[in-house]
Amino acid sequence: MGDAFCSDCKRQTEVVFDHSAGDTVCSECGLVLESHSIDETSEWRTFANESGDNDPVRVGGPTNPLLADGGLSTVIAKPNGGSGEFLSSSLGRWQNRGSNPDRGLILAFKTIATMSDRLGLVATIKDRANEIYKRVEDQKSSRGRNQDALLAACLYIACRQEDKPRTVKEICSVANGATKKEIGRAKEYIVKQLGLETGQSVEMGTIHAGDFMRRFCSNLGMNNQAVKAAQEAVQKSEEFDIRRSPISIAAAVIYIITQLSEEKKPSLKDISGATGVAEGTIRNSYKDLHPHVLKIIPSWFAKEEDLKNLCSP
Amino acid sequence: MAARRNNPSGIVPTIQNIVSTVDLDCVLDLNHIALHSRNSEYFPKRFSAVIMRIKDPKTTALIFASGKMVCTGAKTEAQSKLAARKFARIIQKLGFPAKFRDFRIQNIVASCDVQFTIRLEKFACTSHGAFSTYEPELFPGLIYRMKQPKLVLLIFVSGNVVIAGAKKRDDFYTAFDNIYPVLAEFKK
Repeated sequence: MGDAFCSDCKRQTEVVFDHSAGDTVCSECGLVLESHSIDETSEWRTFANESGDNDPVRVGGPTNPLLADGGLSTVIAKPNGGSGEFLSSSLGRWQNRGSNPDRGLILAFKTIATMSDRLGLVATIKDRANEIYKRVEDQKSSRGRNQDALLAACLYIACRQEDKPRTVKEICSVANGATKKEIGRAKEYIVKQLGLETGQSVEMGTIHAGDFMRRFCSNLGMNNQAVKAAQEAVQKSEEFDIRRSPISIAAAVIYIITQLSEEKKPSLKDISGATGVAEGTIRNSYKDLHPHVLKIIPSWFAKEEDLKNLCSP
Repeated sequence: MAARRNNPSGIVPTIQNIVSTVDLDCVLDLNHIALHSRNSEYFPKRFSAVIMRIKDPKTTALIFASGKMVCTGAKTEAQSKLAARKFARIIQKLGFPAKFRDFRIQNIVASCDVQFTIRLEKFACTSHGAFSTYEPELFPGLIYRMKQPKLVLLIFVSGNVVIAGAKKRDDFYTAFDNIYPVLAEFKK
């Protein structure tokens, strides 16, 4: 019910809205002013106790602002079961072969998602890695580069930026085929590109042994006391002049702590597997740490005699 | 040469290597050169230049078919020029009309020791962080890319500093003068 201008009566008349047919009809002369009006109320009714995985109100996946069209395009799927008529399967093939500006991006995002799944990373890091990759891809100069190394480096930088660094060796283990050297080079390249694009905005702190402590310890199944002691030890060790990579120092500290605890002691091989540091390196780092071991290990964890019993390298 | 720059520490970087190029201005037959000289090697499948070495000054030259030559390994600028001239003389004696055009020093590498240990992580965190790259997993030294003069310094925990990319002796003296007070700040 409402008032609108009727073109036959040439004046404002009472107008009736018929919901069943979607018509707006003048009540005086019966002229249909508008037909087939679109009903904008909700199509489905959802109830509180109804769950199920399909919410009929929502269609499609979440929009991705990184992709060109927000991921809103429609794709013709291949019919499952026996291939239907000739037309539908070919249509699917033809559509995919056509120019899809985002195809490389989508493939890259999928690879990054696989890698971050294998490492058990949160969605924040994965999204950041996607963003970094998009920014690098926008500058066309990255064409000839090793894609695997580039994606692995994006993930590495994303982890660093979120203050949850992963060692290059860990990233290597999930990146198919990229070596430590290639990832390192790709990382330098990306940092340079991002620096060029938005003058010197790349912020990445240096890595410290403490960042990796929790993860390495839980990989080895150390108990809570040992983990706390290891973290304290690593903090204290930063004051001494030990010229070793922070990962090697972390591995050596773990070795000392596990040797001191009463429980089942992991062998050098186990520690090597959990940290990615070679056994020989752990031994050498242990040699460097040994002179300071009294000051590094917290006193509540181990007494002096235990420390003296520690095998001398 | 000009007087040594007076740095309050009295440390002066020593040159380790100079790379220079010169144009001999004539097309060369590399096979002929390789066959008729004792101290050269030429494997075209591996690299398309003759690698020739002389004993005094102890230097190596890469000689290309276009007539351009790269001379490396000398310890002073004068030695580099002398060595390049010696190589050119050898080419001349082999029968090519070699000249000595555009002798230019491309890169000087120098090193020195500041005698104290340096805290590299702190360095990378400060205002100099924009120029430094410190990645202990990848390389044990901090890579400092100085803008003025434009060269690269490799700074190690032990206090050794390697300066590369200078085209003139003064460049790396200036660079070292610039970096020394900064390093002293981060003494361990």
